[in-house]
Amino acid sequence: MRANDSIRRIAVLGGGTAGWMAAAALSRALKRTCEIVVVESPEIGIVGVGEATIPPIRQFNASLGIDENDFVRKTQATFKLAIGFQDWLGPGHRYFHPFGKYGATMDQVDFHHYWLRMRALGDDTKLSAYSLTNTAALMGKFLLPVEDPRSVLSSLSYAFHFDTILYGRYLRDYALARDVTRIEATVTDVRLRGEDGFIAALVLGDGRTVEADFFVDCSGFRGVLIEQALKTGYQDWTHWLPCDRAVAVPCESAGAFSPYTLSTAREAGWQWRIPLQHRAGNGYVYCSRYISDDQAAATLLANLDGKPLAEPRFLRFTTGRRNKFLNKNCLALGLAAGFLEPLESTSIHLIQSGIQLLLAMFPDRSCDPKEEEEFNRLALAEFDRARDFVILHYRATGRDDSELWTYCRHMAIPEPLAYKIDLFRRSGRVAYQGRELFTEQSWLSVMSGQGIMPERHDPLADVMPLDELKKRLDRMKLIVRQAAEAAPSHRDFVMRHCPAPQERLP
Amino acid sequence: MSADERIRSIAVVGGGTAGWMAAATLARVLKGACAITVVESPEIGTVGVGEATIPTILSFNRWLGLDEDEFLRKTKATIKLGIEFRDWGRLGARYFHPFGPLGQAIDLVAFHHYWLKLRALGDASSLADYNVSAVAARLGRFARPPADPNLVLSRLAYAFHFDAALYAQFLREYAQARGVTRIERRIVDVTLDGESGFISSLVLDDGQRLEADFFIDCSGFRALLLGQALGVGYEDWTHWLPCDRAVAVPCALGGDTTPCTRSTAREAGWQWRIPLQHRIGNGYVYCSEHIGDDEAAATLLANLDGEALAEPRFLKFTTGRRKTIFHKNCLALGLAAGFLEPLESTSIHLIQSGISKLMGTFPGRRCDAHDAEEYNRTAIAEFDQVRDFIILHYCATERTDTKLWRRCRAMRIPDSLAYKIAQFRESGRVAQNADELFTPASWVAVAIGQNLMPARYDRLADLQDIAQVQAYAARLRGLIVRAVEGMPTHGDFIARL
Repeated sequence: MRANDSIRRIAVLGGGTAGWMAAAALSRALKRTCEIVVVESPEIGIVGVGEATIPPIRQFNASLGIDENDFVRKTQATFKLAIGFQDWLGPGHRYFHPFGKYGATMDQVDFHHYWLRMRALGDDTKLSAYSLTNTAALMGKFLLPVEDPRSVLSSLSYAFHFDTILYGRYLRDYALARDVTRIEATVTDVRLRGEDGFIAALVLGDGRTVEADFFVDCSGFRGVLIEQALKTGYQDWTHWLPCDRAVAVPCESAGAFSPYTLSTAREAGWQWRIPLQHRAGNGYVYCSRYISDDQAAATLLANLDGKPLAEPRFLRFTTGRRNKFLNKNCLALGLAAGFLEPLESTSIHLIQSGIQLLLAMFPDRSCDPKEEEEFNRLALAEFDRARDFVILHYRATGRDDSELWTYCRHMAIPEPLAYKIDLFRRSGRVAYQGRELFTEQSWLSVMSGQGIMPERHDPLADVMPLDELKKRLDRMKLIVRQAAEAAPSHRDFVMRHCPAPQERLP
Repeated sequence: MSADERIRSIAVVGGGTAGWMAAATLARVLKGACAITVVESPEIGTVGVGEATIPTILSFNRWLGLDEDEFLRKTKATIKLGIEFRDWGRLGARYFHPFGPLGQAIDLVAFHHYWLKLRALGDASSLADYNVSAVAARLGRFARPPADPNLVLSRLAYAFHFDAALYAQFLREYAQARGVTRIERRIVDVTLDGESGFISSLVLDDGQRLEADFFIDCSGFRALLLGQALGVGYEDWTHWLPCDRAVAVPCALGGDTTPCTRSTAREAGWQWRIPLQHRIGNGYVYCSEHIGDDEAAATLLANLDGEALAEPRFLKFTTGRRKTIFHKNCLALGLAAGFLEPLESTSIHLIQSGISKLMGTFPGRRCDAHDAEEYNRTAIAEFDQVRDFIILHYCATERTDTKLWRRCRAMRIPDSLAYKIAQFRESGRVAQNADELFTPASWVAVAIGQNLMPARYDRLADLQDIAQVQAYAARLRGLIVRAVEGMPTHGDFIARL
């Protein structure tokens, strides 16, 4: 490769979470060999306040060399062990989707098959009793995992809830310290190259232009580069995920903050509660076919833990994704790439995963179509499997008390998801379909949590003598309970290690 | 699952490597909860003499709880650190496909990208110089790798060459000690249940009937149960892998035993050399369209290290696999499931992987179709990925000296492989799918070994100061050589067993 083929300048359009995550990671990886410019508009609001994440965020932060306690303090973050799903199967029903593992594999047979065996014999212990992460979440406790696989603490896993605006600022400071240039301006036009249709430059409101070899589109739903300029096309998934609006409002927290996200199914969608140190983020994701904006806002405001701290804000979206994330010399990240409702907290992860794949397959100025093809093959598959996991929650509902739920119970679903549900129902096994973000444990907790119960368990789980199995399971339950009881409360843990400054940041 | 839905009896048909590997595993897992019977015919010889493996065999043996020294002694085994390929990319060319990683990634960029850059700058080192197993093979050394990941020798990966018949014998003793029944009989008929089409029993040559809930077909090429009785068809891959015969002969050791397999491309196929403790296994895999049996045998006999120890034995095969491998209440393993020439020593692995997948989808007595469906989905994907890797050796050649090689250069290859090759040629990256048996390091070793050179290396490799990369590469090479020189010779290792 000739040195003059390499990318010398990258322009990131958009200064939200996606934009600053990209700028931070690129500045760290490229070590000043390439100029990085972030164009952010002062007028455009940033979507997302309290944001929940999943455990890979820890690797992302670690790869930037970020100190975890410092990050938690500066983003008003709390720890997240699980998502609690309230009323999804039916009113009054609750289950958790914890990070981390259930029980222990014995004789090469996955743990849940033993649980299913005992269940068939009338033992009504919940699967969650074998998960330390879940048990700690229920008790409002938090503790850090250890690596030693012999300790029950090695089964723990966690992520964070944080304020995305503060996280964006945190990464902005990080990126600016590594010579990323920030331009505050509005993009009024995008100039394409005549010969190949590549993006040549962004034209700013003040008449300046920003030229670059490669562009990262973090402009949000609009997709200023990937869609408006490059006409990539969008797949609409509304028939699988009919919610198309959300209304969000922060409120005062009622004292303790839970180490889990709470998702409550409502008449026409679901409501999130994301605890931060200084307040709680709330929102109602709903389907405009079944409820009006006013009604949705009223429902949200009637179901807060404390006093609302702002006017409710409305958002509109169409669930789906671009036909490509990488198109010519443009990569779309975040909402510019696609939208999945935050039911399983995948937004930040999909940004992170796009950045990591870009670095693993870093292009040159020619942006070869072969590389584009491989990038999209991998990235789209990951997005689609995450979609399937979100659809699962709607499809496997037991509710028929409103139009939305009646629709979801009967809707057609993507073929890979149908295969997965069918296999699980018949045999208790989770099919692995390649490059999947969510593990077998996650599928297990949501499927069994929402009432998809296998007809049988792995016959090899019958090999262990029943007495021995009972003894081992009792011991596991005891160890899990004792470890959770011994842990500090989530609040105490945060206050001891990483409290945010008392005063509200500007 | 209620007790009467459980599989209570399993019949394994065939007492070759596949049959006894299956019986040993089942005996270990099912712990007497299920009657296991192996039916082997005294008259039918077991195919496979010297057999080469890949590192996954270690986990199989360990999982059974076999003592590795005892296994090495009883199967006359030697250590395998990789495969030396001669005359594949072009006549006179040699390369080594070692186990284990090639160098070490710097800032998440795989080492071979730096190597490509160094090479463009005139560096003459080979990729194998950065792999511990390759250097140990070159110097004829071996010791078991230390666990400490800070030591360069911890990256030594290995497998074995062993006598397949002795391995089957070893596992037979293991299985029989755990309650497996062995019947030495020929099977004269297979009866099916009229309603379900399931296999209900095997009729033996003494008139006895053997009933079972589940059947494992390890009957070899014939696929007595899956193919003949259940009528499952075969996908023929001869258009991609045209070799259809082999001739095999053991010979006397010509000197020290070497810790690697050798594969030499010949006029109409390729010759293997698999060293054991007491002799060397040899064979010529060839395409009968391009060479006669006599000529093939003569070529083989003219290219042995020592005196031939038996008459050459001929084998015929059709490369391919069964359309489904798990059908009704029958699973096929080994040659009954499919045939891939032993170019990358995958036969034993595919058996092992088939057994492990069976454990992952272990059925009840009804053998619901979804268990078979999930098994077939994953097993077929693995089989096909291995096939692609083998085809790569044939199509990435510059040889034009014989009909076979001209044909391979020009043949249409599977789309999945064409995609991988195009990706590699363009970017130096291996387009990997989840769960692939061969790692990117293996693809890189073979592709580059056969002169399939990428147009460029990873751009992020340019972020490292080149003088530092050069110094690092030189240090790594030196470190590996010095560490390997401290190990005993492979001959001494074997002698001390």
